[in-house]
Amino acid sequence: MDPILRRSIIYYLTHFVIWFGMLSRFLIVGDWPTFEIIPLFVPAWLASSLLFSEREESYAFLRTLPVADRAIVRTKLGLILSMGALYWVLMTVAAFARGLGSATGPAVFVYVGLVAAIGLLIAAGFQVLIWRFGITVMTGVIVVYTGVVLIATLVHTASMRFTPGWSEVTRMRGVVWLAGAPWLTHPVLVGLTLLAFYGLVQAGIRVKASSEACL
Amino acid sequence: METMLEARDLARHYEDFSLRGVSLDVRPGSITGLFGANGAGKSTVVKVLAHQAPPHAGSVRVFGLSYADEERAIKNRIGYVPQDPVFYTDIFAASVTVRWMARFVAPYFARWDGALFHALLDEFKVNPLKKIRHLSGGQKKLLAIAMALSHGAELLILDEPAAGLDVVYRRALLDRLRAFVADGSRAVVVASHVTDGLDEIADEVLFLDEGRVVLRENRDDLLSRWKWIHFKAGALDSDIERGLTEVRRQPFGNRGLTSDFRALCGRLAAAVAAGDVKVENASLEDVLASYIRKV
Repeated sequence: MDPILRRSIIYYLTHFVIWFGMLSRFLIVGDWPTFEIIPLFVPAWLASSLLFSEREESYAFLRTLPVADRAIVRTKLGLILSMGALYWVLMTVAAFARGLGSATGPAVFVYVGLVAAIGLLIAAGFQVLIWRFGITVMTGVIVVYTGVVLIATLVHTASMRFTPGWSEVTRMRGVVWLAGAPWLTHPVLVGLTLLAFYGLVQAGIRVKASSEACL
Repeated sequence: METMLEARDLARHYEDFSLRGVSLDVRPGSITGLFGANGAGKSTVVKVLAHQAPPHAGSVRVFGLSYADEERAIKNRIGYVPQDPVFYTDIFAASVTVRWMARFVAPYFARWDGALFHALLDEFKVNPLKKIRHLSGGQKKLLAIAMALSHGAELLILDEPAAGLDVVYRRALLDRLRAFVADGSRAVVVASHVTDGLDEIADEVLFLDEGRVVLRENRDDLLSRWKWIHFKAGALDSDIERGLTEVRRQPFGNRGLTSDFRALCGRLAAAVAAGDVKVENASLEDVLASYIRKV
């Protein structure tokens, strides 16, 4: 395995295992409020994995080796894309397995796709910003982002339980509208995500090659 | 003769420092020394040449290739030692040993020579089982040098490689560098303080001052021009005396540094024969100090 990938993937996998514990609980219990909050953790989880994997990452050393910046960018961003896709697929499979598609309609799958896509694009964006501004600067930003996402998720969870009439994400107007044509929404969502991701890869290659902030 | 490294009009800008218009050619079999005061830009030039910090203007071609197109191929053929070497860390960073590092690095290089690497560790007295974080600054430098020498590099780009080394390892390094270029097919670019002894082996000399090259010359030619002139009062023509720099007037005799000894040679011959004037070789350190003060 590529050593750069091996070093980073450890952090992504440890985060994944914790998250999978939550998903497993849903697969056993099958209650809807549990599933509602599981996707909301994904953006925070991806950003947190990224933050841990970038701590003490030896870019200065890697630059002395015959490793092109392009290869590092593809490895790092490829890992984020793969993990984002893995979360996406597992949530979709879990929703299918527990029959959520029939219970709440296609909005569930649109919701899962949206959250995974946004989460992976934000994490990829953070990765490019780390190369541009350095991990020292970006640590605060990512910690605040992760904290805000987690707090919002917990507030949402508590509100669903204790506040009558609190809206579930799958019932929000935008999600419901997108779920109106799932056969169109999903390909467009995947296409736009990959397009935006490709743009981030290109930006990452330029930024990584020209910036010394991460060295 | 083929040029191994060709740099043209390099520029790189920082908030408080700019490198401007640096050009140099490195021929096979040569050791090019970049010298200058602290903050003159030596490390910046080295970083640009080794593609650690791309230039904001100008171009670098190594073995006729550009980093933009052939970064991997070039880095397989150069050995780079930074001023403060850093090494890879893993999730279990505390347990990373020198031997582990070699295993990590080996697959990246097309021509990694593990036997040579361990022979160099042996020569430098670096224990391969020692943890990287327990190495001293000098040992880290020696480890970086061993890595740079162990993958079949044809061009070494070194930033103060002798800094932090004691006299034994400094001598070993100088011998290694001499041997490296001895067959005429490889070359070294080294940024250093002249006091580190690398001035003794450099055959092309560049002086940097405030981000610019202020002198570029073959070392032997340079030192044949620069000489200390020791003279008794009144022994020198006044125009010769006025042309000297670093003049010291002392009760037991005066001395001054000339940058144009070859032109003065004939005019001094009689005074030298009479014992009123003595000529002494200047060191690169003398020349650099005088040159930078003059600039």
